[in-house]
Amino acid sequence: MPNYMLFLHQSSNGPRPTSPDEIMKITKAYMAWADRMRAEGRLKGGEKLTFDGGKVMRPNGGGKVTVTDGPYAESKELVGGYFAISAKDYDEACRVAESCPHLGYGGSIEVRQVDQM
Amino acid sequence: MIERTQADPLVDNLFRREAGKISAWLARLLGPARLDLIEDAVQDAFGAALARWPLDGAPERPAAWLAVAARNKALDRLRRDARLDPFDEGAALRLGFSDPERVGRLDDTLALMFVACHPALEPDEQTMLTLKTVCGFGVKEIARAYLSTPDAVTQRLVRAKRKIGGLGLRFEIPEGAELAERLPALIAAVYLLFNGGYTSDEGEALMRRELCAEALRLATLLTDHPATATGECHALAALICFHHARADARTDEHGAMILLAEQDRGRWDRDLIARGIEHLRKSTDTEELTALHVEAAIASVHAAAPSFEATDWGMLAHHYAMLEELKPTPVVRLNAAIACAHADGPAAGLTRLEALADARKLAHYALYHAARGDLLLRLDRKRDAAEAFTAALDCPANNAERACLESKLQACG
Repeated sequence: MPNYMLFLHQSSNGPRPTSPDEIMKITKAYMAWADRMRAEGRLKGGEKLTFDGGKVMRPNGGGKVTVTDGPYAESKELVGGYFAISAKDYDEACRVAESCPHLGYGGSIEVRQVDQM
Repeated sequence: MIERTQADPLVDNLFRREAGKISAWLARLLGPARLDLIEDAVQDAFGAALARWPLDGAPERPAAWLAVAARNKALDRLRRDARLDPFDEGAALRLGFSDPERVGRLDDTLALMFVACHPALEPDEQTMLTLKTVCGFGVKEIARAYLSTPDAVTQRLVRAKRKIGGLGLRFEIPEGAELAERLPALIAAVYLLFNGGYTSDEGEALMRRELCAEALRLATLLTDHPATATGECHALAALICFHHARADARTDEHGAMILLAEQDRGRWDRDLIARGIEHLRKSTDTEELTALHVEAAIASVHAAAPSFEATDWGMLAHHYAMLEELKPTPVVRLNAAIACAHADGPAAGLTRLEALADARKLAHYALYHAARGDLLLRLDRKRDAAEAFTAALDCPANNAERACLESKLQACG
């Protein structure tokens, strides 16, 4: 079964949960989702990415590279990063992504298949 | 003394509960002037948990994990701000900065309460800061409890913390004369907290219940520590136990209010009442007699009554007479008159109520007019009763109370 990367983005700069109770609730929702993925044998990995210091590097001609700050520093994300999951096709991967609590907290998810050569 | 940790490590209020304990631990190590930094560090720790726990699974000891994370985040911030805010890392380490086993000490929690209830702050600021730092509530939740806006609460908290920062306070439970002088502010804050939850006219029902539960927890903490286990603190804990024991029976499934007379006493929390009786007993170990002692005794009479009819009204009238001497406010006199009506009949009660008619504070107090209406109805003076209930409806009251008044008005025919 192919693997899919679910990149977690934040689509809006909406109000950020700050109270311990709110963050607890969100944490438990993500944990329950990850547990379910694990139980189904789908979860292949994941990492949280930090939001400060992200860089974008572009070739600048003549063998030089321009380094600019990524679009990350400004975002007010609480969760950003990726999950790697297995699914039989894009449709199933999207269905799985749809169940991720990230979408319920103002985020968006980019789904990409890992090319297995 | 360490506060007990819950059996289920991932209970819904784990972060809130640990926020208070970790803040108290860090305030001991870093000083109460750094409350802001501590708050941010604790918040960062929760963010780290949100990032790691779904992937790694919950740590074996979540509370200790959070404490270490908050400690590290605090250190990061301190090193970054070292030029603005010089900080002796070695000294903090010697104090137990490396030892999260020391999180949750009752001494620390109480010392934090003494900071939050410092006399330099207004009573409102004291309860809000207590809710924020000791109880771990968020700004939005505090705003919901106090019918305020998050921005307004934030501003008050910023002001309060700035005041605290400028006082150069030591982090400790005061001793001797200073303890006696400052304890009443803590008692008042817990009482206010409880009152806000118990009698507030509006606000979210669930949030109000949380407030009562927090007030009960804090009152119990006060009675757990030898320095603060005074008779008055036991009386406070007893009062809250008795009232909170009725929480389930006070509203029906639609959130409508159920009056004391109609409450299903089978739904009262007997364990909590037993705890209240124990506190009430200990409250009389010393000579002092405060208004809280009498209020707790009054609540105990209700708690002990098998039915509304079987309530010992004579005893209540006696207690209220005592309370009127200690705390002669219009609201106390109103309640004394109601107790008297039950003990000596509606006519006697009405006479005492009418004597209060001049009290300006009661003119806009729905319960005053409602009580008059009740007694007039019992004396079969239906037209006067209808007038009283109409006056009550003109006063501020929550929806549950309004519905109750409307049905009484209809009963006047």
